[in-house]
Amino acid sequence: MSDVAEINLEVSDFELKKISEETGIGLSVDELKVVQEYFQKKGRKPTDIELQALGQAWSEHCCYKSSKYYLKKYLFHLKAPQNINVIKEDAGIIEFDKDHAYAVALESHNHPSAIEPYGGAATGIGGILRDVVCMGAQPIALIDPIFFALPTTKSSVIPKSVKHPKFIFSGVVDGIRDYGNRVGIPTIAGMTCFHSGYLGNCLVNVGCVGIVNKKDIIYSKVGNVSDYFVLAGGGTGRDGIHGVTFASKELDDDSATASRSAVQVGDPITKEPLIHACLEANEKKLLTGMKDLGGGGLSCVVGEMALAAGFGAKVQLENVHLKEKDLKPWEIWVSESQERMMMSVREEHLKEVLKIFEKWDVPAVIIGQVIPEKRMELTWKGDKIYDMDLEFVTTGPSYKRPIRPVRINNEHNNYSEPENYEVMIKTIINSLNCASKDWVIRQYDFEVRARTISSSLVGHINNETHADAAVIKPLESSQRGLVFTSDVNPNTVAIDPFWGSAGAVDECVRNIVATGARPHSFADCLNFGNPEKPDKMWEFSQAVQGLAHVAGKIGATFVSGNVSLYNEGPAGACPPTPTILGIGIIDDVDDIITVPFKKEGNLVYLVGKTRDEMAGSVYFNLRSLEGGKVPKVNPYELANASAGLLELANMNKISSCHDISEGGLILALAEMCIGNGIGASIHIKDLLRGDISLFSESNTRWICEVESKDSDAFESNLQAHCTSFALIGTTGGTSLSITHNKRKLADLPISELIKEWQAPLWEIMG
Amino acid sequence: MGKKEVIVTVGLKEGISDPEGKNVKKALSLLGFKEVEEVKILKSYKITINENKCKDIDEKVKAMAEGLLTNPVVHDYEISW
Amino acid sequence: MKPEDINICILRIEGTNNEQEMYDAFKRLGTKPHLVHLNELSSLKPYQCLMIPGGFSAGDYIRAGTIFASRIKSNFMDELNNFIKEGYAVGGICNGFQVLVELGLLPGNPKGNGTITACLSRNDSARFECRHSILKHVSSKKCVFTSLLPQNEQLIVPSAHAEGKFLLSGGKKAYEKLEKNGQIIFKYVNYKGETNAPYPWNPNGSPYNIAGICNKRGNVFGMMPHPERSFFSKNEHGYSGKILFESVVKYIGGTF
Repeated sequence: MSDVAEINLEVSDFELKKISEETGIGLSVDELKVVQEYFQKKGRKPTDIELQALGQAWSEHCCYKSSKYYLKKYLFHLKAPQNINVIKEDAGIIEFDKDHAYAVALESHNHPSAIEPYGGAATGIGGILRDVVCMGAQPIALIDPIFFALPTTKSSVIPKSVKHPKFIFSGVVDGIRDYGNRVGIPTIAGMTCFHSGYLGNCLVNVGCVGIVNKKDIIYSKVGNVSDYFVLAGGGTGRDGIHGVTFASKELDDDSATASRSAVQVGDPITKEPLIHACLEANEKKLLTGMKDLGGGGLSCVVGEMALAAGFGAKVQLENVHLKEKDLKPWEIWVSESQERMMMSVREEHLKEVLKIFEKWDVPAVIIGQVIPEKRMELTWKGDKIYDMDLEFVTTGPSYKRPIRPVRINNEHNNYSEPENYEVMIKTIINSLNCASKDWVIRQYDFEVRARTISSSLVGHINNETHADAAVIKPLESSQRGLVFTSDVNPNTVAIDPFWGSAGAVDECVRNIVATGARPHSFADCLNFGNPEKPDKMWEFSQAVQGLAHVAGKIGATFVSGNVSLYNEGPAGACPPTPTILGIGIIDDVDDIITVPFKKEGNLVYLVGKTRDEMAGSVYFNLRSLEGGKVPKVNPYELANASAGLLELANMNKISSCHDISEGGLILALAEMCIGNGIGASIHIKDLLRGDISLFSESNTRWICEVESKDSDAFESNLQAHCTSFALIGTTGGTSLSITHNKRKLADLPISELIKEWQAPLWEIMG
Repeated sequence: MGKKEVIVTVGLKEGISDPEGKNVKKALSLLGFKEVEEVKILKSYKITINENKCKDIDEKVKAMAEGLLTNPVVHDYEISW
Repeated sequence: MKPEDINICILRIEGTNNEQEMYDAFKRLGTKPHLVHLNELSSLKPYQCLMIPGGFSAGDYIRAGTIFASRIKSNFMDELNNFIKEGYAVGGICNGFQVLVELGLLPGNPKGNGTITACLSRNDSARFECRHSILKHVSSKKCVFTSLLPQNEQLIVPSAHAEGKFLLSGGKKAYEKLEKNGQIIFKYVNYKGETNAPYPWNPNGSPYNIAGICNKRGNVFGMMPHPERSFFSKNEHGYSGKILFESVVKYIGGTF
């Protein structure tokens, strides 16, 4: 048994801490004492592999020990009739039509991407694809919200151990591109956001949606006692060891070198046949359960699959196929090597399953069997090296950590109007968070699979503007479409985590509705700082309540998600970032509404109410102004306005529609002009100052283009839905001209808007 | 039989534009390396073969280079061992 | 032959990933497409058309399409040459085009000895580009994939590749010869239809804006953009990517 060591936990607290550090298991002294007690009762010392398994299972990443209290209290009980199986599995399952469902998963791959952006981002894509495939679903779309410090950051302000954001940004985009494109799933939506707080703490969130015939849905649990565990895909290696424990602490100066082995290496060309083989075996009804190997490796997967069915497992660890020699048993057990799937198979189907994998040139081996007791037993070349109760391993601790509210400053000093509105407008359009992201979008194959109805770019070829949401038609036989958007504004969340988070859900709904679709489900990826710091924990608890404030009231709930804590590095914590993936359904993809103005002489309406809510706005940031109110959300107003607009969309009364978000009314108008090169004359009348009217980022607002013959229907419908609106102008001409309360503020040629809006990222990134 | 390591280096022929190289040059100069005059992308293959007759090695590796590793329309290659 | 008797072989290996949409395109026209893994292909006899779909065959490691091409060469090159000689249709889209070029089948040479005379080299932008392209059908010659599409008609078709710059050995003369033979089928143009439109209209920097070519006989065809992805998106004259598939189905139906 020289490959396995016993570890003595009958030692002082100081020694326990040392054990945790030296073995890299990342457990606290208190947690180790629970382990100590468990083994005292057993009357023996734990082995290294047992301790490592506990370290994995009890990590923040695997057992959500800091976050589950709040998630359970505020989010998990929300219900919607279309939800089939949500929250519990790797991906949420929601009804698509009578015979089909879709699977949604969203995850973070922040820490690995900060250390090695290319591999980190690529394997993020690999992981999220497996989460969808293991439900039996065919992936149809990838959605990638990514967050960086400004690529223009001066090298002199970057801590020594932190890589330049430009390097990280381009490496992450390269990784997503090379993996997503190679595996042949369109990267269809996402967001790219810049904020100084992401220095040393980039966020790489990856989402995937798949489609599945309801009769093919399979869950992450074994079927029955004596089912076999079949491990398929790439070999197990040292890559990705301690990935989850690494993701559950702050990055420090040594992380870059010490943690390289925590980053996995992606191999899309193994993944692609692995997907085919798994789906084929599932469709032939040869599997009783399936689960991907992600965080925690074999250790988590075998245990969770067995326990979910109320059983246990016995594993012969030497059967696992390796890609490098001399791995210790514990390394095999916790490795997070990529491109692996676990299936449970009844004896009579074993041969056929192995044959399918052989056809696809994908290795598959039998590593163990289901046993009736809820216990996990591992052997290594005949010796027993692991014997623990599964409930003890899998349940893990749960904490209600202390919180400390942070005072929110709503006051702001008086500030002047901009001297020159045209210059201010161009500065906004030209700022990195507002400008065109086509430098990123075009590197991704958003058309592969030929099911893309509308990507993130819409309008005249090579002058496209940003879409509100992307649209996919998943089935050959149906016109029904799925609509995708991902949103969050870290600027507002950082100031007020409750309203900022509520605003992220509002923005998702706006984008879905602007496309003509019904909001149908959400996934969340909650990226926050160190939960052991009370102010960070407060941010988290506020954010979760903000999400629940809106989500419960609009007919769609959170179906899947992920919490990423400890996003803190040498330069501080990242801004709290609850990324929301919103999914909508439209009955006929021929009816989608897009952003660009369609025709000269149409009416332009502002739907919703503009308020003096300037905190966190692009305008305030560019002028270095602080304070002010963060945009709030009234979920009932949102539900009413959405219902009204969707009725109008069904009646074909809306020619184009765009939500108003970052950059305010002016950016929304500019983007609508850019897409097809059609200008507009805008005359706003309100009681606000000009800059507030144009640049406020109040929630629950849209701009709609409406044919004049439809204006009565448009207005009466919105009135019936208690939704405020204003006719603010007409389309036409070659410029965007703005008057506010009869004062002329700007007249900007579309050609100039296009130039200002398109150029920035290309100039910086080349 | 002995093992031999052979390096095949593939590059673009003179006169064929090298957009990747140009791009790297631009990136380097943006990082402050203004003295960089040109960057060319070369791709190397380290091939370990069971063969110790020099003449045979040369012939075989040449066949590999011309049969798979290069497209003669745009590539030159060099063998070293 | 009736459409339902036409058997189309869509060849795949690890990393080809556009086969399902290619399959759907032929299926919609009532023919019988088959997804065939190279490991499973024993003979081309049952088929009247061979399609090589887009994707990243074998990861596009070494060069795009090279590994797929070399595996075809070692498995069934003679049979493929006979298939072409008998007039059956062979098409390659995107990565498939790269494969046909690496096989020496496009533009093809008179000796038919498989010498490679062209290359789809790295885009001038040095990056993968996904954008819609406007293509003009510039050949009057009846390529079997475009016979139903009138000359000078334009299509909007998505491009998505990193290596699509079509280079020909033999310089200017070689391009002129290709043009004279009617082998240049599609050129990238702008909204005005100009065949010298620069980047981004020409997404990869191909000399003469070449987007797709055929062999001298017109039964082997390759193009970088993806007609199977614009099967339904019609232009103002009612043409979409569908016309290419209709053309080849009509050709096979009328010939065999």
